[in-house]
Amino acid sequence: MHEMKKVTLGWMAIVLVLFPILLLLGIFMRAVQANGLANAEEWFYPFMTLHGVGMVGVWYVGAMACAERVIARYTGSNDGLSYVAMGGTVAGVVLLLVCVLGGKFASGWYFLYPLPFKGTWPIWSATTFLLAMTVMGAAWLVWSLGLLVGIARKYSLSHALGWHYIGGATEPDVPPAVIITTVSLLAAVASLLAGVVVLVFFFVELLFGIRSDALLMKNLTFFFGHVLVNLSLYLGVAVIYDVLPEYAGRPWKANKIVAISWNSVLAIVLMAYAHHLYMDFVQPTSLQYLGQIASYASSLPPAVVTIFGALTLVFHAKMRWTLASGMFFLALMGWAIGGVGAVIDSTIAVNAKFHNTLWVPAHFHTYMLEGLVLMVLGYFYHYVQEHTRIPESGLVRILTLGLFVIGGYGFLATFYLSGANSVPRRFATYPAEVAHGATDSAVGVMFAALFLLGLVVFTASALRRWFRASSDG
Amino acid sequence: MRHTSLWIGISMMLLAPAVWADASDGQRIFQQSCAACHTVGEGKRLGPDLEGVTKTRDSAWLNRWIREPDKMIAEGDAIAVRLLNEYGRVPMPNLGLNAEQADAVIAFLASGSGAALPAAATGIAHPEPPTGEGRGSVQNTASIAFLAITAIIVLVFLYVARSTGNPMPVDVQKAYKLRRVFFISGLVIVVGLLATTLFTTPYPDAAGTPDRVVHVTTLQFNFVFTQEPVASAQDLQTAGRIGNLELPVGSTVEFRVTSLDTTHGFGIYSPQGAVYAQTQAMPGYTNRLRVKFSEPGVYSVLCMEYCGAAHHLMKTVFTVRNDDHA
Ligand code: HEC
Ligand code: HEM
Ligand SMILES: [Cu+2]
Ligand SMILES: [Cu+2]
Repeated sequence: MHEMKKVTLGWMAIVLVLFPILLLLGIFMRAVQANGLANAEEWFYPFMTLHGVGMVGVWYVGAMACAERVIARYTGSNDGLSYVAMGGTVAGVVLLLVCVLGGKFASGWYFLYPLPFKGTWPIWSATTFLLAMTVMGAAWLVWSLGLLVGIARKYSLSHALGWHYIGGATEPDVPPAVIITTVSLLAAVASLLAGVVVLVFFFVELLFGIRSDALLMKNLTFFFGHVLVNLSLYLGVAVIYDVLPEYAGRPWKANKIVAISWNSVLAIVLMAYAHHLYMDFVQPTSLQYLGQIASYASSLPPAVVTIFGALTLVFHAKMRWTLASGMFFLALMGWAIGGVGAVIDSTIAVNAKFHNTLWVPAHFHTYMLEGLVLMVLGYFYHYVQEHTRIPESGLVRILTLGLFVIGGYGFLATFYLSGANSVPRRFATYPAEVAHGATDSAVGVMFAALFLLGLVVFTASALRRWFRASSDG
Repeated sequence: MRHTSLWIGISMMLLAPAVWADASDGQRIFQQSCAACHTVGEGKRLGPDLEGVTKTRDSAWLNRWIREPDKMIAEGDAIAVRLLNEYGRVPMPNLGLNAEQADAVIAFLASGSGAALPAAATGIAHPEPPTGEGRGSVQNTASIAFLAITAIIVLVFLYVARSTGNPMPVDVQKAYKLRRVFFISGLVIVVGLLATTLFTTPYPDAAGTPDRVVHVTTLQFNFVFTQEPVASAQDLQTAGRIGNLELPVGSTVEFRVTSLDTTHGFGIYSPQGAVYAQTQAMPGYTNRLRVKFSEPGVYSVLCMEYCGAAHHLMKTVFTVRNDDHA
């Protein structure tokens, strides 16, 4: 029986507490869009900001906490580092709550320059928001660098990236989780550094009144956001590479193909961000083409190596189906489906119609809600379940997975349908042109409530194991 | 249904901009600068319903408030602060109007014609705002492709999950062979799709000249069409505002889109309610969007980049006409 790490239980608690709150904010937004909460409309954009930043942050730290625990098997662990990140995250959340609840700050999750300075909210709330981002960004940068140092203590960089496999060697044995985590952490450093530059420009304007270039800021902002969201998923995938074999009873090893695949992912994901700027016609056209080529290219390695690999791992395996392994399997499917939605939208000609419609939240909610969320919650559950071995109820398993699938995909379908029907994203209520968006929203609320129900069932059984594990630990 | 009256109200608001041409100055300014947040007799939106406001407030106060609400709030004007608190602490923005323009709006508010706005339109037959399916051919193709690939993914996952009911060793060499086939066919599809779609872009090429250039300036929470380019709020007065934009069918129009404050989106909706073309409106840059209008009708413009509290209310319309008098 493995040792319980308090810090991982701590991260698990943070995720289990914040997720339902943020999810309720999501349901609130959908209800406003359905014209169901006429008097609360003024809270739509502040809560959209809280929901967006909160969700992106929660699932990034959740994925980091899981990957950190998984690679600790090979590299040793550094709990102090993790606590520093936790302190920074909690401080950031508090600042975020202050600026949104106290100042109605509402710049949206990626705070596109210069909106934070041009809003109906007071300037102190914008400053507080930027401080929240700074505190979290700094803590996460330290966390990523610290984990990289930990990996470097055990493996040389070229081994950690699996370059010896590419060169034809089969030794030393480096677990795929280590390779993928290294790739993800390098991407994290790049992303967070871009975020830091954005923040510095904001503070320079705040303090000295020097304005920034809107196009440059947009490139930096989307580089930051795009890479952060994608690498969070890669961390989740690293965890699956490590844990799914335990359930399938077969090994899943790194080799030449796996190494090539993840190294190319690192290069491609850094370029694909350009698909967010297709509708900025002043952006150099060569970058637009690069955006589409990189986005298309980024679909091949995960599909051919990771998804294909996971499917062969499970194919005719003596699979131990549990809540955790079921969630991992579904998570890979959600990642794939969301990825298809993303690649379609990364076609410039399609983006001209889909950009900033609900198709965008549709696809990223697919790989987050039906992908990363299941990976992270699945791993946390696996972690406490392996320790406590409380017998799992088949009913709870069916109920949880069923509600996650039906509630989640039903909710997502309303986003896709609205997006295909030209309903713009981030509209508190819908004008006559796109009034059908309100009907979709009402249906979305009902399905999201089913997902929430699934989450309640899941949380009840996860918490039972959490309490048992922490009293044993 | 209890929302019906709300919807009628909102649709009337949306119809209203079409009547600028024949309305007074004050009405036009109201539609352009105030209607995103206020109605006259249709209930409150982001700000109060302004019906009867000329009776409850004196005209000097009103004139100053409409010109510089930010200063009055900063000075702690008692009424201003009370209103601010009442309206969720969303402050009314300074819209850069001068004293005459403020008087014109006040005159319009005092005339009490607000509630009857759309009905008061004379001359122009009411153009219906776009309402319909909202899907063009690109949207249809993309949705079908998405559904088809999703169905395949789901079936494969189901098939693999079911196979675990019958455990047996798998032949790794066979799997690798299949992977190679999968990779090569994937590569062919990706390269093929890139070759066919990559160069279909909305970016204006150097060759060819548009039939007409229209300058579009965005600012919280309006779109303003002008004859001349606009670089600052002052230019708005002199750049030749086009109150009622009409374009001949079959023409190619170049919209030169910029912003005076934060980033907005210039999203054109077809008469069927589908996104027709769009570009971003960025401060300090001008995006040139060329659009050929092959179908007559009323096109709406919605903001396609989140820009703050009244983002979803920011809109305008223009008309593409069949005849050649435009
Ligand atoms: C972004 C939304 C917005 C726009 C645009 C806007 N207002 Fe307001 N207005 C408000 C809000 C909100 C209030 C309530 C006071 C506050 O919170 O600052 C208000 C208050 C007022 C009041 C005071 C009402 C009273 O009961 O005394 C008047 C008059 C007014 N606005 C007129 C205008 C006019 C005229 C325009 C256009 C030139 C305009 N507003 C544009 C949001 C807006
Ligand atoms: C059932 C659960 C959820 C519901 C009901 C929900 C609902 C919503 C809604 C209604 C919006 C606004 C859409 C729009 O009009 O633009 C939104 C935006 C968003 N959601 Fe969710 N969501 C859920 C889960 C998640 C998860 C798991 C994530 C993880 C990353 C997430 C991240 C975001 C982000 C980043 C935005 C964009 C915010 C912005 O535009 O600034 N959501 N969500
Ligand atoms: Cu992206
Ligand atoms: Cu907007």
